[in-house]
Amino acid sequence: MGALIDGESRPRLESWLAGATGATRVSVADEGTLGGGAISLNLAVTLDIDGGPQAGRHACVLRAQPGGGSAVAPSMKASISKAQEFAVLRAAFGAGVAAPEPIASCGDPAVLGADFYIMRRAEGIGAGHKVVKSDQPQRGLARELGRQLGRLHRAGPDTPGLEDLPVPNPSPALDCVHAYRDWLGDLAVRDAVLAWGLRWLEIHAPPPGDLVLCHRDYRTGNYLVKDGALTAILDWEFAGFSDPMEDLGWFCARSWRFGRHDREAGGLAGREDFYAGYEETSGRRVDPQAVAYWETAAYMRWAAIAVLQGRRHTSGEEPSLELALTGRMLPEIELDLLRHIRNLGLTVASPVESAGAGLSGDASEERVA
Amino acid sequence: MRTSPDAQELLSIVAETFRTDLLPHIPPAQRYTALMIANALGIVQRELAGVDEAGHAMLAALALLYGEDADDSLSGTELRQRVEALQHRLCIEIAAGDFDHDGQDVLMECLEEIVQARLGIANPKLLRG
Repeated sequence: MGALIDGESRPRLESWLAGATGATRVSVADEGTLGGGAISLNLAVTLDIDGGPQAGRHACVLRAQPGGGSAVAPSMKASISKAQEFAVLRAAFGAGVAAPEPIASCGDPAVLGADFYIMRRAEGIGAGHKVVKSDQPQRGLARELGRQLGRLHRAGPDTPGLEDLPVPNPSPALDCVHAYRDWLGDLAVRDAVLAWGLRWLEIHAPPPGDLVLCHRDYRTGNYLVKDGALTAILDWEFAGFSDPMEDLGWFCARSWRFGRHDREAGGLAGREDFYAGYEETSGRRVDPQAVAYWETAAYMRWAAIAVLQGRRHTSGEEPSLELALTGRMLPEIELDLLRHIRNLGLTVASPVESAGAGLSGDASEERVA
Repeated sequence: MRTSPDAQELLSIVAETFRTDLLPHIPPAQRYTALMIANALGIVQRELAGVDEAGHAMLAALALLYGEDADDSLSGTELRQRVEALQHRLCIEIAAGDFDHDGQDVLMECLEEIVQARLGIANPKLLRG
């Protein structure tokens, strides 16, 4: 994609923004591309708004659909559209979650040629390996991230504005298995580790339960921290309705601990702090067995997304060393998957220890039936 | 006639020169990209040198699962195709539910061997000690 904002498109963007914000005039300064855009194109922009309820200067981010237009490319099928992402951001922000404040969303291709939206820019450090760097466990941060997730999970299919998001059928777990198999394509019948991961998820799939708005990429690396405190939760492009425990399993997966495996909640602290924060605000108990199921799903989901990203490179659609190397991470993700399944198996053999750790033998048998 | 230095020898000196002569002088803004290049070169080196060894390890794991003897004489394309055929068969059996009740221990051992063989090329730092 060429420059999104150039001499030709800038006046169109500015006049559209004036309408969208009820201003008399808006000027936009483009400050260049921001990182963290494996899926989306992120531009740092500053808006100078004259008149209307939002008059003033605002540091913002413009997030656009890569490749232009409004359609989600086949290799990015894990993502929702920019219009849906904006609706999710509004719902999250409205629920009191530390999501960047949504400003305006545009689905008119005449403006920039791609769907995009604008949100307020947050400050802080995002890179996972920097966030987890700390002599002491970051218990307060882990607990706050639990609270934030609990707040998000109070939104669901009845929340106004989320009507466009699909509702899983027949169940969140089986819908996930179906999606992962679809993303993996023929690899699901060529890679025995992935085949076993998919089968394991089918056999142990929990029945449908609560359905909530899940972030689906809630992890270290996708939030910003300043002076040890959370400033914003980012990267909402995978959001959707699912089992609430899916987000907890994803957050605690080994993949997002950035080497701090002794701190299972995102490399920050122990799970108990994260879970306690979650229970404070969600009005729901954490079910460790269900979290363990969703942690298996997390490895499969990450494996399938890595395959999709590698394919974006190999298909010639978007040549990129980073995407190519993500595709080569598959054995590493599979190692984590097998280790996790192996650990759950051990708790089957010694059910006494299974309380906080995994699926008991009885529960898995019931689920087979 | 064999070209000398061959591809592996050439690649080896490319990777070493890049790491020792260039990497320390890369400006911070490009360092991540440079590290990705060094990582990718390492993967290519290990794959060129060890793809048959990894293939034999996977074949041995699959043969054990099926109670067969692994054919040690295979190499190159034939070896790769044999491993792919057995993995495909295993995928079909797994999806059909053949391991839902029995054989999970032996299946897990086989899968762990396969992953170890592939990690030896993709990221040997993670190999079990």
